[in-house]
Amino acid sequence: MSDALLDVSDLRVHFPLRRATPFAPKRTVKAVDGVSFALAKGRTFGIVGESGSGKTTTALAVMRLTEITSGAVRLGDESLSALEGEALRRARRRVQMIFQDPYSSLNPRMRAGAIVAEPMELMQVGTETECRERAQELFAQVGLRSDQLQLFPHQFSGGQRQRIGIARALATKPELVVCDEPVSALDVAIQAQILNLLVKLQEEYGLAYLFISHDLGVVQYLCDEVAVMYLGRMVEQAPREALFGNPLHPYTWALLSAVPRVGRRRRDGAARLRLEGDPPSPISPPPGCRFSSRCPYAEARCKAEEPVLREVRPGHRVACHLVREDGTAPLRPATL
Amino acid sequence: MSGPLLEVEGLKVEFDTWDGRVRVLDGVSLSVSPGETLGIVGESGCGKSMTALAVMGLVPKPAGHVTGGAIRYRGEDLVKASDGRMRDLRGNRIAMIFQEPMTSLNPVFTVGDQIAETARLHLGLSPAEARKRAVEMLRAVHIPEAERRVAEYPHQFSGGMRQRVMIAMALACEPEVLIADEPTTALDVTVQAQIFDLLEELRAAEGTAIVLITHDMGATAEMADRVVVMYAGRKVEEGPVDAILGNPAHPYTQGLLACRPNLQLGHAAARPQLHEIPGVVPPLHLLGRGCAFADRCPRAMPRCGEAFPPAYDVGESHAAACWLLEEARAA
Repeated sequence: MSDALLDVSDLRVHFPLRRATPFAPKRTVKAVDGVSFALAKGRTFGIVGESGSGKTTTALAVMRLTEITSGAVRLGDESLSALEGEALRRARRRVQMIFQDPYSSLNPRMRAGAIVAEPMELMQVGTETECRERAQELFAQVGLRSDQLQLFPHQFSGGQRQRIGIARALATKPELVVCDEPVSALDVAIQAQILNLLVKLQEEYGLAYLFISHDLGVVQYLCDEVAVMYLGRMVEQAPREALFGNPLHPYTWALLSAVPRVGRRRRDGAARLRLEGDPPSPISPPPGCRFSSRCPYAEARCKAEEPVLREVRPGHRVACHLVREDGTAPLRPATL
Repeated sequence: MSGPLLEVEGLKVEFDTWDGRVRVLDGVSLSVSPGETLGIVGESGCGKSMTALAVMGLVPKPAGHVTGGAIRYRGEDLVKASDGRMRDLRGNRIAMIFQEPMTSLNPVFTVGDQIAETARLHLGLSPAEARKRAVEMLRAVHIPEAERRVAEYPHQFSGGMRQRVMIAMALACEPEVLIADEPTTALDVTVQAQIFDLLEELRAAEGTAIVLITHDMGATAEMADRVVVMYAGRKVEEGPVDAILGNPAHPYTQGLLACRPNLQLGHAAARPQLHEIPGVVPPLHLLGRGCAFADRCPRAMPRCGEAFPPAYDVGESHAAACWLLEEARAA
């Protein structure tokens, strides 16, 4: 795909573990193990999964905030994964990040205006006056008043702090914004405000979002394309309509069926796909399909042979032995 | 037994702060019967957790005071109960599960010790019996290899497992009322579903009355029989779950329902329009005499700022406190 803004291919991030003794075998956590996707300008790509699935590590690797073991990350015509030193620093203005926790991601000793202006100063974008004007403009963009530029983070509510974080991310006019659970720490009523703001800013600036979340309702609202990750791998990837309309992977079914929904009573024994236990340790993933140890449909083949991510319908990729070549999943429960 | 097991009536709680005395709960009333699940929903700061703490007799002292109302458990007023009597009831007849399973468990004791402590104190079991009881409880909450895991420390458990341990502790004395304060906020959806299944299993098997405090309307819809919606220390709407979800009468409840991007399955899943409630919850010390929601309400009228509306019946055991309902009635 040449028109992609962000192109990630076969990304791997492995963390070596400390050994108990010098003679103990080497162990590594394969946090991200062969992830590929592309994201076009002005679009949103969502990654969902349980904690430990590698979705945040993927985001950090794209930002070059964690070391990449192998694979390539391209941003337009630049190879982010190959850049070092000053060149990498210059490239960073094109990719910015919005963090999950608006309480710990803002420096409590800096005034809000200075927090927003800091990326511009670091990137030497414009003069001091221009920085100040731009900070004011950004404040207006994210729905804060310019008299609030002089306040400290603790004087803002959670939702307002997240607005400061968004203004800071936009300061260097990035093309790609990585959002790591940007609303999960906020109150329900405030979440809607921030989501609407993200949509508005995307339309105005043509931003591309890489959106990490465990909240499927939010992902469905915001994302054009969605990938489901499990233990460091993508198990399913599809455009929004296909993923929510025709989910193919049993893990996707389990995630979808676990979300509490208005109009379904637990007491009626609503047929839901239950997953037992927790995800297995990424240090020693089960042989074959990584999901086979929790998959209610797993067959002998699933435990022996790891399924590859294959395209079964245009744009719809899935890694499951049980999905037929014509892109149907015969075992899908009727309630989904 | 017929009638409610736990009844809160006109509960008022005040706190001494730098900004003077602040009323954090103002005339909250609710009740829950055996085998029933009551959902309490609202944003942070609406007083839902404080209601739970008041019922447990755990309003932080010396800043907090219960200044009015009654909390009746089987007819006995807990507001007037002695500390000793509260200790008897708390963890025994009325138990609570907290939001953060990591900070609510003691890191230097094994989970077995912590479950056994409750059983020893309230049921008078010997250490050996209490330990047996701890294993039983871990089994009851579906922790695999309970005999081995009973001797492990909280850090050796995952988030979902820790919440199960919390539930096991709460259940050790077979309480009649279980208060669950956002029991799944820190957990993955799949684990949240497991915890909800567990609570539902318990309610069905033991007839435990459950008070589920949450901000998630979806969770409320799946779990609760009746729902209380709170805003800034007051109850603004109460009713059967279907009425609250299908026919919400208070603008705040309507806003809460509309502002969530609800998961839609099926091919017609188009991007829904997301409604937002403007502004934030006002600081409690700045509350006027009127309806606290008036500043954020799309349908506020002049009189909303003047006096707090009484509760109007809008259906069978469904009531909401909003002046619009009087207008509607007059029309």
